[in-house]
Amino acid sequence: MSDALNITATPDSQWKRRFLQPLLRQRSAVAGLAIIVIYVVAAVFAPWLATHDPTAQDLMASLQGPSAAHWLGTDSYGQDLYSRLLYGAQLALIIGFASVALGLVVGVAIGLAAGLMGGRTEWVLMRIVDGLLAFPELILAMAFMAVLGLGTENLVYALALSFVGPFARMTRGDVLQVKNQPYIEAARLMGVPTAAIIWRHVLPNVVSPILVQAGMRVSIAILLESGLSFLGIGVVPPTPDWGLMIAEGRAFITMAPWISGVPGVALAILLVALNLLGDGLRDAFDPTTQKDA
Amino acid sequence: MQEPIFSLLDVERTYELRRPGWLNRAPRQLKALDGVRLDLQRGDTLALVGESGSGKSTLIRLMLGLEPASDGRVLYGQRDLAQLDAEEKKRFAREVAFIYQNARGSMNPRMRIADILAEPIRLHRLCAESAIAERLAALLDRVGLPAGLLQRFPSELSGGQIRRVAIARALAAEPQVIMADESVAGLDVSVQAQVLNLLRDLCRESGITLVFITHDLGVASYLCEKIAVLYLGRIVEQGPTDAILNTPRHPYTRALLQAFPRFDMPLKASLSGEIPSPVDLPKGCRFAGRCPEAQAACRESDPALTAFDAERQVACLFPVAGAQ
Amino acid sequence: MDCAVALTTQAANMPVSEEPLLDVRDFSLRRGQAVVLDGVSLALQPGETLGLIGESGAGKSTLALALIGLLRAPEVQLEGSLRFRGTELTRLKEADYRRLRGNKIGLIFQDATAALNPCFTVGQQIAEPLKRHLGLSKWDRRERAAELMHSVGIPEPRLRLDAYPHELSGGMQQRVMIAIALACNPELLLADEPTSALDVTIQAQIMELILDRVRELNSSAIFVLHDLALGAQVCDRIAVMYAGQIVEEGPSERVLAAPLHPYTRGLKSCVVELGSRTLVPIPGQVPPLDAMPAGCRFAPRCPKAKAICGEQRPRAEIRDGRQVACWFID
Repeated sequence: MSDALNITATPDSQWKRRFLQPLLRQRSAVAGLAIIVIYVVAAVFAPWLATHDPTAQDLMASLQGPSAAHWLGTDSYGQDLYSRLLYGAQLALIIGFASVALGLVVGVAIGLAAGLMGGRTEWVLMRIVDGLLAFPELILAMAFMAVLGLGTENLVYALALSFVGPFARMTRGDVLQVKNQPYIEAARLMGVPTAAIIWRHVLPNVVSPILVQAGMRVSIAILLESGLSFLGIGVVPPTPDWGLMIAEGRAFITMAPWISGVPGVALAILLVALNLLGDGLRDAFDPTTQKDA
Repeated sequence: MQEPIFSLLDVERTYELRRPGWLNRAPRQLKALDGVRLDLQRGDTLALVGESGSGKSTLIRLMLGLEPASDGRVLYGQRDLAQLDAEEKKRFAREVAFIYQNARGSMNPRMRIADILAEPIRLHRLCAESAIAERLAALLDRVGLPAGLLQRFPSELSGGQIRRVAIARALAAEPQVIMADESVAGLDVSVQAQVLNLLRDLCRESGITLVFITHDLGVASYLCEKIAVLYLGRIVEQGPTDAILNTPRHPYTRALLQAFPRFDMPLKASLSGEIPSPVDLPKGCRFAGRCPEAQAACRESDPALTAFDAERQVACLFPVAGAQ
Repeated sequence: MDCAVALTTQAANMPVSEEPLLDVRDFSLRRGQAVVLDGVSLALQPGETLGLIGESGAGKSTLALALIGLLRAPEVQLEGSLRFRGTELTRLKEADYRRLRGNKIGLIFQDATAALNPCFTVGQQIAEPLKRHLGLSKWDRRERAAELMHSVGIPEPRLRLDAYPHELSGGMQQRVMIAIALACNPELLLADEPTSALDVTIQAQIMELILDRVRELNSSAIFVLHDLALGAQVCDRIAVMYAGQIVEEGPSERVLAAPLHPYTRGLKSCVVELGSRTLVPIPGQVPPLDAMPAGCRFAPRCPKAKAICGEQRPRAEIRDGRQVACWFID
């Protein structure tokens, strides 16, 4: 009786048992998570941690190596690399997460609609998705940047668009599988309204692989973002962006290797950390790799 | 006589099968149900018995409104299931509960037992939110499960426990009719006995109408007062359980009884051959091909389900005579 | 009743001194710390059929798998002895086992659909043991496969030789399995729940078929079953298993008509018969392997349990022509 009265008893410990513990068992994932936390802290506290204005140019102090005044040196415009690095982390993480979040919302919505409605709607939606999937992400994002024009916001839209396809396809596949499970029919028989069936019975059963996928996509988004900026069709200079910074340093690679090297190493470490976390999430929550639920 | 709670009027269910290939694409018809007539009175306990492929699962899906009848009508009370409005549909969903054969699969694996059981209660606003906990405890108690299970997930329960939860969920909405599909198949005998006793006690105490699908005549006879035997989409015999067990009138019913394993009788393969495909049914009686007593007339005319005596209906031109 | 008559005549014809076909003595199987099978002893004479009966977790299938050498060290630890025609099986090399399986010991599994390879025709699969164990030529194999299919009641065997398993019904697939199992005229047939996936009328056909073929070949058979009544119909002897032990073993008509062990009695009172009025379930559950009671494993659920039952394990006693492991046999 006393047990029954506390139906929502200890949700905290349950959450720990179901989500935190399986994740903490993945050692490399914990390492990745720790690195990401450092990046996030650096990004959030960039205004306080930075020693200079990231876009302040000082041509007198250009192309300097690491020193007391400029911890990681300066670039060809004399901008402080350390400060640019911190603000660059901010930008990379914002673009990475925002574009994946946007792509996920739109993609999952399309996937749900296609999977649940079926018929002509599904056919039309999935052909659109096929169209999106026909191009590699980078090409698609480039094309959209060319149409939309440069800028941070446009970059987010372009990247999000390139993620809609994979999310939609994956969601639809899972929905098709879940839709035919007896518990969906059982809910229908009990008279559960359609919206509640989708929200309570379909979504929770398709969501975890999608979230795992989202975690891995963040690193792709950051890589693409840097790549586009490197190619000169991403954010506008002098915005402190890693891709831009690497591109700028290219001309001075023999004289001042730190200009490209510093953002390059920062990017590499972040990507590795994100991938470690992504793999850990997959191993912990993906039912196909899970040993026992 | 009171009006039946369910009546099936010459219900038919056909599926069209497309042939592969481009030529000759005329669809073939698979008759899963063919001219089923059935009246269910309030408080009845009826077992639908038949081998796999006999159409018993299709029949129950039709009675639940999950599939439309291709022909004929399924009435719930006075109303045709196909023509219920939104309000009536809601009432139907509350009054008729279904227990799946795959009890575990019929529960959302990401919901706790408490939420699974509370769903129909909340849905039909059967009690105040604050009283739900008490209600859940009472439900579990009624099916003989400890209240501690409420916080578990379906995958953490044993086969016997999950069936009891399925029964509890069916009871949660206080239904008038419970339909159950092979709810004790695949259980160990002692667990099966527990679940059977539970179901029987529930029906006796609360006067719930029960429709129970099973391939096991023993289970049918233990749980239900009436039995309808299906063969290839048609009811071939129906009547009170005792009468059917003691004096089966249809040769198929008799064969089923003889094949049932018993301690006091030697093994007897009462029928040769297998249930034929429901595609392109032969002319005449559909059982004629396997019937040990088939005569020429059986291959010519298809017998309809007709009254044999006051309580029994048989679809056979030459019903089995006398005591077994 | 004529079943029982047939049994006694058969028993009378049997020379008593002959070594049993299968002799299991004090056989135990451990998986790590868990004792899955504990001191199992039974003997099977040539021509006898034995039913292993019990609930899931009783160890019936484990015993069957150990017999055919599919559960061996280092995966599990075996103790005691398993002798088949005088050969000690627990120390047999894998290569020798392979010469036995499908040849001297035939196997029938519960799920024919899973046991048959979907990529080969049924003809090829029936011919496989003929090639491996008997070394028949291709033409002879095909002829013999067709004969075997005919003998298990598959209509038009020559047409079906080239059919793939999925083209056959469940009952027909089970018949194919029987044909494969009997291909080399085995001396022992092991059938693990051969009919539990089938309808009763088909079950009766298949069981009758297996029994006919076994009698014809004068082989022995072990059936793993959960249906007591079916056990009474098809088996000469019944071994009732509970939690890895044999609690009662003897001629089926005695064990099932007048059970002595409380578990056998409990099991029988749970069986749904035609026209059953009451079922009396056994209270409680089979204890998990890592928490087996020290004494009699059935004691926690036994209505007759006394102090000694919880402390000491009862030895099997011969009583009324059968072995029973219980402290209080009345």
